[in-house]
Amino acid sequence: MQADQTVHHRSASKRHGRPKPSMQPNLSAMIDVIFLLLIYFVVTANFTPDEGVLTAKLPQGTGSPSQDMTPPQRPLNIVLSPAGETQVRISIQGYPQAPTGFADLAVLLTQLQYDPERGLHSGAFKPDSPVVIKPEAGVRWQHVANAFNAAVRARYTNINFAQVSQ
Amino acid sequence: MSSQIFHRGPTKPQMNITPLIDVVFLLIIFFMLVNNIISEQSVQMIVPQLDEPTTRELDDAGRIIVNIAPADYAHRERADNPLLFDGEARFIRVGLQTFAADDLEGVTAALIDAKSAYPDAEVVLRSDGALYYGVVQPVMGAITRAGIDKVNLVAYMPERGAATVKIGE
Repeated sequence: MQADQTVHHRSASKRHGRPKPSMQPNLSAMIDVIFLLLIYFVVTANFTPDEGVLTAKLPQGTGSPSQDMTPPQRPLNIVLSPAGETQVRISIQGYPQAPTGFADLAVLLTQLQYDPERGLHSGAFKPDSPVVIKPEAGVRWQHVANAFNAAVRARYTNINFAQVSQ
Repeated sequence: MSSQIFHRGPTKPQMNITPLIDVVFLLIIFFMLVNNIISEQSVQMIVPQLDEPTTRELDDAGRIIVNIAPADYAHRERADNPLLFDGEARFIRVGLQTFAADDLEGVTAALIDAKSAYPDAEVVLRSDGALYYGVVQPVMGAITRAGIDKVNLVAYMPERGAATVKIGE
């Protein structure tokens, strides 16, 4: 009798030949709510890629106060002109070699830099030399931002945007 | 004793879920409304996609967003080449104030107001990648006229694990 009580669930159903009674809570209401939540989150989900920022200095008409002790620095001009409807032609003023794309522009800008700390001795421009991005009015903004990004990647710190040249 | 219970039939314990459903519905309605209000601040556009971007995440600190909105579009028509699109601006939005595309004085005035209210706030320039530089540059001029010389340009973050998007090649 004692042994029978300890295993009474199994033995009871076996003895009576009846299926085990279901002791499950009704889940359908919860499933309803979960489906609603699922639909809500699918509808409101944001599938656009994340946006980030590039911090830039803006062209100042007044300019910074002149420093008498240091000679004026020659700026490195990156000229962008539209090519066709959406493309762009990149050139660095004073250098015959035109970059083929913005990854190439970053490589060229790095080669033009003089920074002994990074082992760069070939170039004539220091990291804080002014870099001016000179796009024509018809250049798409994406190319301008891309040129800025290339200059940042080449570790220039003083990058400016020129006024619109027609 | 146990056999007595089974004779009466199985018991079905049930929770009353009605108040739970009520609350969940309320929450759904609440979040839908809040979401609409938030999304109204950021204008629909495709910001520049960069080659090997050096973009950093936006700080949560105070920021004044200057949106330069492109013409209306459906997502599908710009899916293949986002740059093949109208390069003119439709309007400029500073915070929640909307200005005409040529109302640069209004933009400057709004930025001066915003800057005096929140001196530490950073200015974020959010422009569609397809807009012409001749449209964006005057807005940058309007920002500098408000006495702001630093601006954060918005572009897409690098995709994790994805190949770099090459555009303009």
